[in-house]
Amino acid sequence: MNPALNRRDFLMRTGGGFGGLALAQMLGSEAMANTLRGGLHHPPKAKRVIQLFMNGGVSQMDTFDPKPRLDALHDQAFDPGAGQLVESVTNSPGFKVLRSPFEFQQHGQSGRWVSSVFPHTAGIVDDLAFLMSMTSKTNVHGLGSYMQNTGFTLPGFPCMGAWISYALGKINENLPEFVVLPDPKGLPYNNLGNFSAGFLPAKHQGTVINAGSRDGETPINFLFPPSEASHITPQSEDAGLRLLQALNRGYANRFPSDTRLEARLDSYELAARMQLSAPEVFDLSKESAATRNLYGLDGEKTADFARRCITGRRMLERGVRFVQIWSGPGGPSNNWDNHANIHTELPYMAQQVDQPIAGLIKDLKSRGMLEDTLVVWTTEFGRMPFSQGQAGRDHNGGTFVTWLAGAGIKPGTAVGESDEWGWKARKPLWCYDLHATILHLLGINHEQLTVRHSGIDRRLTDVSGHVIRDILA
Amino acid sequence: MRQLKLSLLLISASVSTAIAEETHWSLAPLSQPTVPVTKVSDSAIDAFVAQKLHQSSLHMSPPADRASWLRRVYFDLVGLPPSSAELAAFLQDESPQAREQVVDYLLASPRYGERWARHWMDVARYAETHGHDEDAIRPNAWPYRDWLIRSLNGDMPYAEFLREQIAGDVIAPDDPWATAATGFLGCGPWDESSQMGIQDGTVDKKIAQYLDRDDMLTATMQTFTSTTAHCARCHDHKFDPVSLQDYYALQAVFAGVDKVERPFEPDADLNGKRKRLQEQQQQLDDGTFPESRLSEPDVQAALDSWETGVRDQEQQWQILQPETVTCSSGSPFAIQEDGSILFGGDAPDKETYTITGISPGFRITAVQLEVLTDPSLPQGGPGRAPNGNLHLSEFKLLIDGKPAAIETATADFNQSGWEIGRSIDGHLESAWGIHPEEGKSHQAVFTLAEPVECVPGTAVKVELQQLHGGSHIIGRPRISISGESNPKAIAPLPPEIAELLAIPKAERSDHQRRALALAFVKMDTARQIAALPEPGMVYAIASQFVTKGNFKPAVTPREIHVLNRGDVLSPIGTAQPGALSCIPGLPARFDLPDTSDEGDRRGALANWLAHPDNVLTWRSIVNRIWHYHFGRGIVTTPNDFGKMGALPSHPELLDWLAVEFRNRGGSLKWLHKAIVLSTTYGQASDDRDDGLATDPDNHLLWRMNRQRLDAESIRDAVLSFSGMLDMHMGGPSAQQFTSSPGVHVTPVLDYQNFDPDDPANLRRSVYRFVFRTVPDPLMQALDCPDASQLAAKRENSATALQALAMLNNRFLVRQTEHIATDLEHQSVDLETQISELIVRVYSRVATPEELESVADYARMHGLANACRVIINSSEFLYLQ
Repeated sequence: MNPALNRRDFLMRTGGGFGGLALAQMLGSEAMANTLRGGLHHPPKAKRVIQLFMNGGVSQMDTFDPKPRLDALHDQAFDPGAGQLVESVTNSPGFKVLRSPFEFQQHGQSGRWVSSVFPHTAGIVDDLAFLMSMTSKTNVHGLGSYMQNTGFTLPGFPCMGAWISYALGKINENLPEFVVLPDPKGLPYNNLGNFSAGFLPAKHQGTVINAGSRDGETPINFLFPPSEASHITPQSEDAGLRLLQALNRGYANRFPSDTRLEARLDSYELAARMQLSAPEVFDLSKESAATRNLYGLDGEKTADFARRCITGRRMLERGVRFVQIWSGPGGPSNNWDNHANIHTELPYMAQQVDQPIAGLIKDLKSRGMLEDTLVVWTTEFGRMPFSQGQAGRDHNGGTFVTWLAGAGIKPGTAVGESDEWGWKARKPLWCYDLHATILHLLGINHEQLTVRHSGIDRRLTDVSGHVIRDILA
Repeated sequence: MRQLKLSLLLISASVSTAIAEETHWSLAPLSQPTVPVTKVSDSAIDAFVAQKLHQSSLHMSPPADRASWLRRVYFDLVGLPPSSAELAAFLQDESPQAREQVVDYLLASPRYGERWARHWMDVARYAETHGHDEDAIRPNAWPYRDWLIRSLNGDMPYAEFLREQIAGDVIAPDDPWATAATGFLGCGPWDESSQMGIQDGTVDKKIAQYLDRDDMLTATMQTFTSTTAHCARCHDHKFDPVSLQDYYALQAVFAGVDKVERPFEPDADLNGKRKRLQEQQQQLDDGTFPESRLSEPDVQAALDSWETGVRDQEQQWQILQPETVTCSSGSPFAIQEDGSILFGGDAPDKETYTITGISPGFRITAVQLEVLTDPSLPQGGPGRAPNGNLHLSEFKLLIDGKPAAIETATADFNQSGWEIGRSIDGHLESAWGIHPEEGKSHQAVFTLAEPVECVPGTAVKVELQQLHGGSHIIGRPRISISGESNPKAIAPLPPEIAELLAIPKAERSDHQRRALALAFVKMDTARQIAALPEPGMVYAIASQFVTKGNFKPAVTPREIHVLNRGDVLSPIGTAQPGALSCIPGLPARFDLPDTSDEGDRRGALANWLAHPDNVLTWRSIVNRIWHYHFGRGIVTTPNDFGKMGALPSHPELLDWLAVEFRNRGGSLKWLHKAIVLSTTYGQASDDRDDGLATDPDNHLLWRMNRQRLDAESIRDAVLSFSGMLDMHMGGPSAQQFTSSPGVHVTPVLDYQNFDPDDPANLRRSVYRFVFRTVPDPLMQALDCPDASQLAAKRENSATALQALAMLNNRFLVRQTEHIATDLEHQSVDLETQISELIVRVYSRVATPEELESVADYARMHGLANACRVIINSSEFLYLQ
């Protein structure tokens, strides 16, 4: 039995007082949950976003960007000609071309090429819009990860979720506006730095949800009193919160002009409501057998990512604005950083996420949510067309693939292309363009969303960024 | 004609605009404004504030009640609440000096430095991990924090405080604390992946180096001059007079340093001794040690006294005459006259000797193993390997058939990686060796964990396991035993000394006397160096350090290029060290005689920043201090005095403070005292209709601002309420989390399951270990800034997650239980307990109504729950 649910039960049972008040308000705002706020600068197409971040750098030429030229050049020295500088950050020189060990086929009406590592994703390509020439400034994980999340390669900048929270505020008062579901195996490169509010107020940072948490642990920090505090009972909690609010009300009344004191009163009411509403979000027991099968919730390899995708969908349903789900922890293994052997390491990761991701798209579609939910699949950079060791590939910021689906996206499209080797992008697209497009779909002009910090009007998109109109519906 | 006049007018207008641009307020010369005459008080601060208020038809609020003032000034100056006794004493003291005495007391308290160091750590982006994807711990970042606390408590003149943080190692190379001060430059994030992991010379590596210097110069210029110089990295500053050239001149200042650990020895005597010994060692090594020193009386006296000691020691050793000898390989051997055993025949691969002798009957405290040379051994021995080396895998001792535990092992020489300790570590794969000191006899001494009393005839058995292989076997061992009461004092002698000592004193030639003295000085120097404690380290900056992976020291400054659009692939000329061009009277570029000396570059910048005519520096610091006292600066953008920053609300006051502060030697304690004893600071914070109507945001200071306690003050105050606050100062940081190895460099941290009663939790929050990418969720909920950014100001949020943290954080909940226990020890009466709780937390007497409601609640649900409610109340969190 989940202790969190016990707690909720007792809060429900206490009735009246604080709990009762909170419950009434919670039900009220659930009824309003579909009345979403409009955009900041223009009417939005997307009302919420779910981002699936593949940590480590997904190999583009082994997934969505086939390069027949590599088959022809396999095992020959990699020479892009014209005296171009070839560098590989963790690899020794003497680069030999490595062909993809996977078979590619065209899929759907759109005829997108997908390799054998993503059979389920192959089935939904007509819902997706591919960015085939994404580019990063860096070939280093931490920097690349910061760049894709915050637009800057250095720590200390707000991530996209924080900017969106800052710009649009809450939909649902009972849950945080920006939540992150890291891989239970560990935090990604940069740890919590990728979800930081940077110089924005701390309340906009990503709230980390431990969706795979064991019994006795709450999925959100501090949601309930510590289990060893036996003196805290439902009765003490109820009466205590009432006493606290009376004291705080009295204090606030002494200084009516100080809005911070009112905000503190509100914050405790919100906290109580979050205690009531949060456990329900994490309870997947009411999901149908069909849904469980769709995501692969009972599959050995897919269970974890499926659980987090379903939890993500449940949060979106309840008004969370931005959900970010991570595949793979930081470090050298169990992620998409396939230095040693593409043939074995890549399918291992792909199997974990392929069915859950396809399931998520289908599920959102069948619930009518795909119309105003934006789904974004990203990674921090791609991989090299030549080998590292015998069969691995090193980091490559030169070109990689991202896809989007859902709200405001023209399905079955693709923009951009990489060169003949999949080494560098032709007409590069940057994180600035991706971020500008996401903000645009949320009703935000990326050039107008600015915050003055250390003498600069900072933007998510720095001094760059163009909305990628070719993939907009 | 008319037309001409008009055009002249236009010209003069544009000229005046240009002049206005050149003299942005923050760059205007500093002159001391005349203090207006007012009736408020004799404080210049009050006079300037009252004058501004008068101009807006406002006036100051009445003074805050004395208890509120006391609580305000305690949290402000020392970050802690007054105790009940301190509050009572102050309220009873009606003397006119009461307030001043409190302020003097607080400024003299060591708690002051702890409180204000924490403010400075925000500005300096202090954390103790690297902050990038490989977020490794910096175990020695804390000396910088301790330097801050010491310097603030000692009221170090601000110019010196500034200069040491930029170039302390250059300005005062003999003062280890001055080196710790440069921890300021090292505080920021460091990109281990790029700096250490990736290939040298790559574009990514160059970018990482430029960005690391960018962090240092950004921190320096924002902290000390409130200038956003980093805005000129890609192009001339869009708003302020900072050129691309200025920016790269600043890059060039830091061209010779990297963020890295360097030696730090805070004990000046020890530091001096270490330096002297290392210099002596160097002279001995390169043959420059003056021979005249050897005949000086102090050296001779030391040698005599040591020689006498050695003679005594020798007598303490008794050779164990072998009775039985076995060897596992069956090699032939012969017991020698001197009690040693010489092995011969073909050397086997591995070997174990067992040597048994009879004790004449005394207590045994130590056993000596000598491995002696012999002409019959390869290269003269003492080992039987072809090069004369040997490997002793394990040394075992049995007395009267019972194993005797060995506590320590020392040897006259240890092969690198094959130290004598490896012969008693229980691992057969590790061993003692003597390479490259073959051809000489060596000794090892093993001391017993407990002395063993022996009756005459007791068997003493030594087992020498030599299992490394390759014939690394002892050729001629000899065993002695000792009953010396302090056996650790027995140390083996280097062979060259032993040979000289064997010659009777009177028979030694001059040459032999000098050789003995030199050998003694060598041995004694090495012994003294070895006896010094391990040198401490500080994470700061350095130009020299040991290469680690692809992270290599610059040694001399790296060449810095001005980069077009900040792109390392687009250099447009070499940059020379310098600073900003816009400060009247200060040079923009440094005229250095030797540009290859990186220290000179930082020294020049330190002097440029601390110059009395650097108008930005003096305005910046007084505003920063004002900001912390009032919750808002006279300029509300403490890190940006440029055109995009705010204008000063009280420009004359700012300049008066800057000039006065500078002229009074940059005493921060003077500045604090002037501010907190002003009538302006002492005002009540209550609402007033006229003030709210004219100046709702209180820019003119018609009342005191109400400040929320910061995260550290909340945590420390709670510990002071329970009486559990640990006042121990300084040292390595308290890790208030458990950690386990992560998948890569960064460990996995767990704050939630850390024992709330662990002593680490009881330290003041300034000593808390700050982990950059996995911050403490409680402190984060209470608006601790992201330590990857300079934080001139803190947020003041009130979120549901903050409420949940205050309610449910394990440490806070446990502390409320401790507060309750403490109150119950003080009194058995519930109402007395509640009254005391209110006094501790609110610094005032409880009202009858709150006494009743809180006591009612405590009666039903216990005192700990009542404490939890009070800790969550707004009145605790706010200073009124």
